[in-house]
Amino acid sequence: MTARRTRIFWMAFAVILALLIVMPFGLPEFWRRFLTEILIWGLLAMSSDILIGYTGMVSFGHSAFFGLGMYGAAAALLTTRPPSLWLALLYGLIAAATVAAFVAYFSTRLRDIYFAITTLIFSQIFYVIIFTWTDATGGENGLAFSRPALAIPGLFSLPFTTLTLYWFVLAVVTGSYLVLRRITRSPFGMVLQSIRENEARTRAIGYPVERYKIVAVMFSGLFAGLAGVLYAIQNRFAAPDFVFFVVSGEAVIYNIMGGVGTLVGPIVGAAAFLLLREGLSRLFPYLASVASQHGLALPGLAEFPYLIPLGIIFIAIVIFMPQGLLGFARRRLNE
Amino acid sequence: MTDNNNRDDWEEAFWYSGKTTRRRLVGWSAKAAGALGAMMLVPAPWRAAFGAAKPFKIGSLQPLSGNAAAGGKTALVGVQMAVDRINKMGGINGRPVEIVTGDDESKPDVARRKIEKLLVEDEVDAHVGGFLSNICLACMPVFEENKVVNMISVCLDTTLTTTKCNRYSFRPYDYAPAQAVAFAPYLVNKLGKRWHLIYADYSWGQSTRDAYAQEIKKAGGEIVGGTGIPLGTADMTPFLSKISGDFDGLFAIEFGKDGVTIGNQAYDLGLTKKYKWAGDGALAESTNLPGLGNKIEGFVGINRYIPVFDPPLNTAAHHKFFDDAVARLKQIDPSGPLPDRYVQSNYEAMNALKIGMEKSNFQGRDDTMKLIEALEGLEMKEGDDFPQGDKVLRKEDHQAFIREFIFDIKDGKHRILETVPKEKTIFPPACKFASS
Repeated sequence: MTARRTRIFWMAFAVILALLIVMPFGLPEFWRRFLTEILIWGLLAMSSDILIGYTGMVSFGHSAFFGLGMYGAAAALLTTRPPSLWLALLYGLIAAATVAAFVAYFSTRLRDIYFAITTLIFSQIFYVIIFTWTDATGGENGLAFSRPALAIPGLFSLPFTTLTLYWFVLAVVTGSYLVLRRITRSPFGMVLQSIRENEARTRAIGYPVERYKIVAVMFSGLFAGLAGVLYAIQNRFAAPDFVFFVVSGEAVIYNIMGGVGTLVGPIVGAAAFLLLREGLSRLFPYLASVASQHGLALPGLAEFPYLIPLGIIFIAIVIFMPQGLLGFARRRLNE
Repeated sequence: MTDNNNRDDWEEAFWYSGKTTRRRLVGWSAKAAGALGAMMLVPAPWRAAFGAAKPFKIGSLQPLSGNAAAGGKTALVGVQMAVDRINKMGGINGRPVEIVTGDDESKPDVARRKIEKLLVEDEVDAHVGGFLSNICLACMPVFEENKVVNMISVCLDTTLTTTKCNRYSFRPYDYAPAQAVAFAPYLVNKLGKRWHLIYADYSWGQSTRDAYAQEIKKAGGEIVGGTGIPLGTADMTPFLSKISGDFDGLFAIEFGKDGVTIGNQAYDLGLTKKYKWAGDGALAESTNLPGLGNKIEGFVGINRYIPVFDPPLNTAAHHKFFDDAVARLKQIDPSGPLPDRYVQSNYEAMNALKIGMEKSNFQGRDDTMKLIEALEGLEMKEGDDFPQGDKVLRKEDHQAFIREFIFDIKDGKHRILETVPKEKTIFPPACKFASS
């Protein structure tokens, strides 16, 4: 990257960050919470980009890392009095990292579809354990707990508001982005990209490919777990549904929608997908009510399954914007 | 013919002339999205029409898509039936009622977002709904935070009104411990003393198993064993084939398609002939009967609602409810299913809310505490509002106690064997509300 491009990047980064910091002031309460959630899902998607975009490994095990992060945070928040934010982070990260190490050890011996299926199976194993181990995990009902305060022991303790929680999440996601950016641009990150491009040649050069893959999965799992902790803190519950592989599938969708191998793209993808889903879920009932006010009876319009147009839009993006929304925007800007 | 030719030309021009570039398609999509967005900004014409009689907004979160969509749509029919009837009769406190629905997609994360939308953005006055227990539990703190009354209408998990109860949530129908209290004496005295329990191996199945084990023992019976079957198991034979020994009855705690699976496979293995065959009424819900065929003959169960006109359900109120429900259900399912307990509990939950709102002269969220006080201990009398029968909403835990029907299946239909009055279903409260 030339000095000029670096300067432009950091200027754009500062402007976007400043916009994100002030954005909630202009938003109603519901949208502030929604924005926080977008950042959390964006972090999950960004964590899986390490594998999908940089190492060329599609993982369906991220729901396990995300879910274990949630349950780790839940364990801390239910067992400590008063509930501690930092212990929730610590427990969540330990849980996610442990599971990531376990999954990585077994699954990185495999490649392509075999790796994807193995990670999917691992996530389902953890799902079944959590779903049926009712005494410890609450089973299907999950665990509910109170939200910790934003506190530094001995210095201050403030209860989270929607606004402060948003800023806290924004700070964590920004920090995570900077760390992941550093990792992907380090020699380690270059080796990951080399594995993606040609695994056999990377091995032939002398790199211990399996070890690099294990570390990549662990990094990825750690940040997915961090997203899980943030989600638990925001919503004050942990449920087995978040360990189910469908959550991993959504992370893959966010990556594809936003653009793989970009780190920012998956966040853009998460934002686009969640906003589209929310918008479409409101559109049809609204159109039905407008039509009925104009004397037009359109039976079934209000209940129209809005996930169908969402799916069609996703397919259109895959076909017409193969590099995702970010790649498309980049190309338009470069024209 | 000419038209067809024109269309062919147009299609050819569209797809093959090179004019439909990727960029153009994206552009058109953006324009379409802009037009839709602009349309959404136009003030809704109906807003002006409300004027003096501003409607009460009642939120209803239901799974209208995802795994539980079929049940969620059925449940919503119950709420709509009640609201239409209320509006025909002049509304509540002179104001009409408007339902604001939310689709939770059968997922807790979506549910949490949608319930926040209903409470924070749509500013609903109260809520009637909730289908899946995990979703009810995930959303309960949001009602407390926003101080809005939540009439739960399907969720069965026991903890909703025990360890996880809160002052803002009410369950105006039964729960597993009350059914166990009502059913256990019948099981022990009329069917047999020694029972083997088969249950769906997750929280609902496990808590229901515990409730029945406790009450069967209390009634003088004995539990000789238990078999947990993971939810969604398509082939239950490996689990069922291990069940043998000297006992009187098999008691199954399953629902939905798992209910159909166990009904068929237990019959095929001869278990339902060898032992007395009983269980939770959810196994033989009217929607399950076609899938079970004649293999469910003789099954004895308990349920709060069954779509029959045997006494004491041979009332004008029940006929009215039944006919309206059948007509509406046919609109969403042409096979014409009979109403089930989901329609009934949603219909009655909305009516219980109406009575509470009238009793407290509820005008909006500022009156939420008055509404809660009106609902606590509310006595509901059998009639058009409550065709299922009398019920009482206990003050200590916001749990209703209602009459239960012990039934069997004969000639492919439910038949009431015994009616257990609500007084004989009482289970002690186990809830401590946080001081509000």
